[in-house]
Amino acid sequence: MSMNRKINLRVWLKIPDAEAATVKNTLIRRLGFGNVLDDVKKERLFSIEVDSGDPAELAKSFARELVNENKESHIVLIDELKFEEDYVPVKVALHIEDGEAISIRERLRSRLGFENVVDVKKATVWKLYFNTLKPEAQIKAGEIAERLLINPHKDSYEIMI
Amino acid sequence: MKIAVLQFPGTNCEFETLVAVKAVGMEGEIFRWNRSAGELSGFDGFVIPGGFSYQDRLRAGVIASKEPVMSALKEEAGIGKPIIGICNGFQILVETGLLPGSIEKSSGNVDMALAQNVMVSQGKIVRRGYYCDWVNLRHEAPSKRCSGSFAIERGALLKIPIAHGEGNLVTTTPGLMKKLNDEGQVVFRYCDRNGRIINEFPFNVNGSTESIAAICNEPGNVLGMMPHPERAFFAWQLPAFDPRKQRPDEPGPGRRVFESMKRYIEVNA
Repeated sequence: MSMNRKINLRVWLKIPDAEAATVKNTLIRRLGFGNVLDDVKKERLFSIEVDSGDPAELAKSFARELVNENKESHIVLIDELKFEEDYVPVKVALHIEDGEAISIRERLRSRLGFENVVDVKKATVWKLYFNTLKPEAQIKAGEIAERLLINPHKDSYEIMI
Repeated sequence: MKIAVLQFPGTNCEFETLVAVKAVGMEGEIFRWNRSAGELSGFDGFVIPGGFSYQDRLRAGVIASKEPVMSALKEEAGIGKPIIGICNGFQILVETGLLPGSIEKSSGNVDMALAQNVMVSQGKIVRRGYYCDWVNLRHEAPSKRCSGSFAIERGALLKIPIAHGEGNLVTTTPGLMKKLNDEGQVVFRYCDRNGRIINEFPFNVNGSTESIAAICNEPGNVLGMMPHPERAFFAWQLPAFDPRKQRPDEPGPGRRVFESMKRYIEVNA
């Protein structure tokens, strides 16, 4: 039985996020979601699998490497991934090889000595704030993912509810 | 013969592209993305130059692809006017669905992606991400197949620079690669200096499927290419190791792309 633990780092900008603003603007002004969409925020998500060590202590070390505290905030979730209730979280990740995730894994393992790192996955979580009830919001979130957030030839998405 | 060189926020090759357009004897002007899209109908052809439209936010080309000017450009493409997308312009055309042009006609689907570069050599990933260099291209399509290579013979070799982070052509559309090959829509492939296709770095500079550097749509009027012909328009722009650089009055290899566009318009007028 695998004893691996998964450390999830949710990371977001504490300064204004221009990319999220551009996505919101495009959804409202160009794609017609202005009547249901209130706001868009964005997080980076790192999921780091380790086969030994204290995950809470490891998470602090990983955060020092992956989070720039001057401009970013983060929270750590170990062996779970949950989001707040007031938005629909849409996780977007590459389904083709993710070079940046591989680079992070190699950096943690080979350059920084975290040999207990087994795997690193990276994604973007789009937090879509709707003014509609949840069932409709989830349908709209799917539409938004397919019409803007992903290119299906390289990305996949998952609504995290 | 008047060409619109489209400018989005973050485009950064529009001025040298306009120089190239004018240097082959066409008229041209820079067309800002927020002008009335209907004005596009007054032009005979279009170039979407390179750069980083909208700072490549979300992914390269996608935000620009949602602008009204691109809907108008689709209509112009539909009546056969030539469009050349260079680098970021190629990415915009892909995200708009103008390239490769949907395998199911008029569905408007996006049938491929230009993903992050992954450079592979001898089975190993040796590099990733942004890369700029001079590359060799082999013209794969028959002459007159495509607006941007109309006057270039099949098999011709061109040395032109690339500079991008997302030029790795990938697709999950069944049958698309076969269609592109069978119907002559593969316009340029990366190759070595002798024209051999070697599907690994440094010859395939970004991991693109089948070393593809440029494709056209089915009718041939829309071309997308990752290399920058406007940066090899004059011989003096060539790298120091190229002997043609010592003959600055000669044309550079990139000129042939713009001459092709002009010839295409002359023939199809």
